[in-house]
Amino acid sequence: MKKSKDWGIKIAPWVLLAPNLIIFAVFIVWPAIMGFTYSFYKWDGLGEKVFIGFNNYVKAFGSAEFWGAFGRTAAYALISVPLIMAAALLLANLLVKDIKLKGFFRASFYWPKMISFIIVGLSFRFLFGDSFGVINYILEVLGFKSVAWLTDSFFAQLVVILATVWSMAGYYMVMFISGLQSIPESYYEASQVDGATSAQRFFLITLPLLKPTTFLVLILSIIDVFKAYPLIKALTGGGPASSTKMIVQYIYEEGFTKSNLGYASALSMILLVVLAIFTGIQFKINRGGEI
Amino acid sequence: MKLKTLTIAMVIMACLLSACGSTSSTDSAGSTASGTDDGTASEQSGSGSESAEKKKLDFMWFSDGVEGEVTQSIIDEYEAANPNIEINLIEVPYNDYENQLKIAISGGEPPALARVTYVGLFKDASITFDDYVDAESFKAQFSDSLDPFYIYDGKIKGVPIDTTANGLIYNKTAFEKAGVEVPANPGDIWTIDEWIDAMKRVMESGDVRYGLVIDKTPHRFSTLLYGQGGRILSEDLQTTEINSEAGIRTVDIMKRLHDENICPASVWVGSENPNDMFRTGQVAMHLAGSWMMTNYRDNITDFEWGVTYLPVGVTRSSVPGGKYVIALDNTSVEQEAVDFIEYYISKEVNQKYCSESLFLSPRNDLADMEFSFGSESWQIFANELANSSPDAARDWGYAQTSALIKEPLLNGVAEVIQGKTSSKDMLDSLAEKVNAELAEINS
Repeated sequence: MKKSKDWGIKIAPWVLLAPNLIIFAVFIVWPAIMGFTYSFYKWDGLGEKVFIGFNNYVKAFGSAEFWGAFGRTAAYALISVPLIMAAALLLANLLVKDIKLKGFFRASFYWPKMISFIIVGLSFRFLFGDSFGVINYILEVLGFKSVAWLTDSFFAQLVVILATVWSMAGYYMVMFISGLQSIPESYYEASQVDGATSAQRFFLITLPLLKPTTFLVLILSIIDVFKAYPLIKALTGGGPASSTKMIVQYIYEEGFTKSNLGYASALSMILLVVLAIFTGIQFKINRGGEI
Repeated sequence: MKLKTLTIAMVIMACLLSACGSTSSTDSAGSTASGTDDGTASEQSGSGSESAEKKKLDFMWFSDGVEGEVTQSIIDEYEAANPNIEINLIEVPYNDYENQLKIAISGGEPPALARVTYVGLFKDASITFDDYVDAESFKAQFSDSLDPFYIYDGKIKGVPIDTTANGLIYNKTAFEKAGVEVPANPGDIWTIDEWIDAMKRVMESGDVRYGLVIDKTPHRFSTLLYGQGGRILSEDLQTTEINSEAGIRTVDIMKRLHDENICPASVWVGSENPNDMFRTGQVAMHLAGSWMMTNYRDNITDFEWGVTYLPVGVTRSSVPGGKYVIALDNTSVEQEAVDFIEYYISKEVNQKYCSESLFLSPRNDLADMEFSFGSESWQIFANELANSSPDAARDWGYAQTSALIKEPLLNGVAEVIQGKTSSKDMLDSLAEKVNAELAEINS
């Protein structure tokens, strides 16, 4: 009786985890292994696979188009991520307090996260479209000249960043609220006694104690931004002239438009390594590692 | 308590595993359902197994307009006449169509039939019709100009079901208001300068914002290219010739159209839908093709529209296109698929299909087919096709053309329009890239 109880205790967690593990193995691990395998082949998805060793990786690292897409993605992350974090922190600071309709406002700002990225992209296109956009219509009604929001590279990039910040800030706001709520109130009380201003309290108490949450948000938002595709595809299609084409779109086009599945698999592996580095850092922080 | 937890967990796991394992005979987009659930033993659609009673064929399909419905009615008639055959028409959105079909084929579960744009992409996965029909008499049904699109290495790998032609659709109401006449017959055709001048005069009347939208595709771009005497690929399909003087002139025309504000930058530099712009009356002309006829017939109610002749550059040319049906190999219903295709492409049935879907027929004996709608327009499209460069069929019959040039050409033209590079530099750079990829394909 004791033996079967022990056996039950040992097996129970695995049984409970089994559905998730099976789904994870079938839909994540197995395709990743297959992708890694394909990265060493030349294959159009239909014909024979031809083994070419590391040629796909050599091609990627020597490709100006790859570095262009990667560079644009890095620049996009460099600008979007601080804006996402600033917006999320600002919203969190406002909504951590006990104000009227706090729940409504939190839900409202979180709501964009619930919307599909494609819908966000299309919505911003309705707003900023050159010929059919609401904003240009309003500008023309007011007597101003319409702006080439999506046909000028600079403006198109700006709109993409705006759409990204709008769709992601609410999600990270929730993390910051949780972080802010974990800061003991006694610190603020003590600082008030010492005559600290609200700005001093924010920079000298809130920000330092929020460091773990801030770093977590930083890593997660970098990962999210690096994976950006549906929003940008729906909003600008990667244009004008590839100025908003990021790395995932480049991989998709190599794989599914040009039928270079082997090469696209190699590109995916490179992206996987980059994201794995950020994920590894995130795991270390979660386990209480120093930052 | 622990036993109870264990039991609940096992039940949940069993439910999840059984959900993962189920197949459905009513799978929608993208499915080439391998399993059917009609109670007949061991039957599978697409890869139909040996049942004496009924053979099931999956027919993968995409629609531009109403042709899906027309095809379904044809299928219903065929099934009524052939009760041992069941054809399941599976509509898939065009954007993802080729990927879905490739996945089905490489996954070992191809549909029995598929409508495709480029037969060449799937020639290794489709049957050779020569093994099932008399090749010469079969080919003789169709226009010779379509040969490069469905005959590979001398073998019939697909069957043409409709033909399209690129052409110029125009806002009749705006032109009439501006007092500008369009060419009434081939003898009146505009030169490029006359065409641009006509559009400017319509724009000046104030009824439209722009003179022209051109679909943002290499296929539509090539209409102007062939008119300038150029071509995309060399005769032997080994290198590109897009960076010829003709190619440079074509890109210069595109730049001029945008610099003079005749074309909106939002289409070729942005991602605006040119159909929307024409449909809403913002543009005087749309360089598109005959497949737009049903769309505009059903959706344009605010103004009258029509079709006129493409301008002449160095020569006249449209671009032939169309759709084909292939029968996939390794489905065990290849003979049944061929039987259906022979029915589908027969004179009477193809006439029904083309007249109701508003397509030109690929059949020689239907070259003068009458349409219930837009008969003048169809005569113009047919005339354009008859006066097209043979390079057009050869270029677009080569399956890799679109994949090779699409991205660099569309981005390159956008950069020329933005003034970031010259036509010559852009085309030379494009040619270098394409030639490298062609060398890799042919190695």
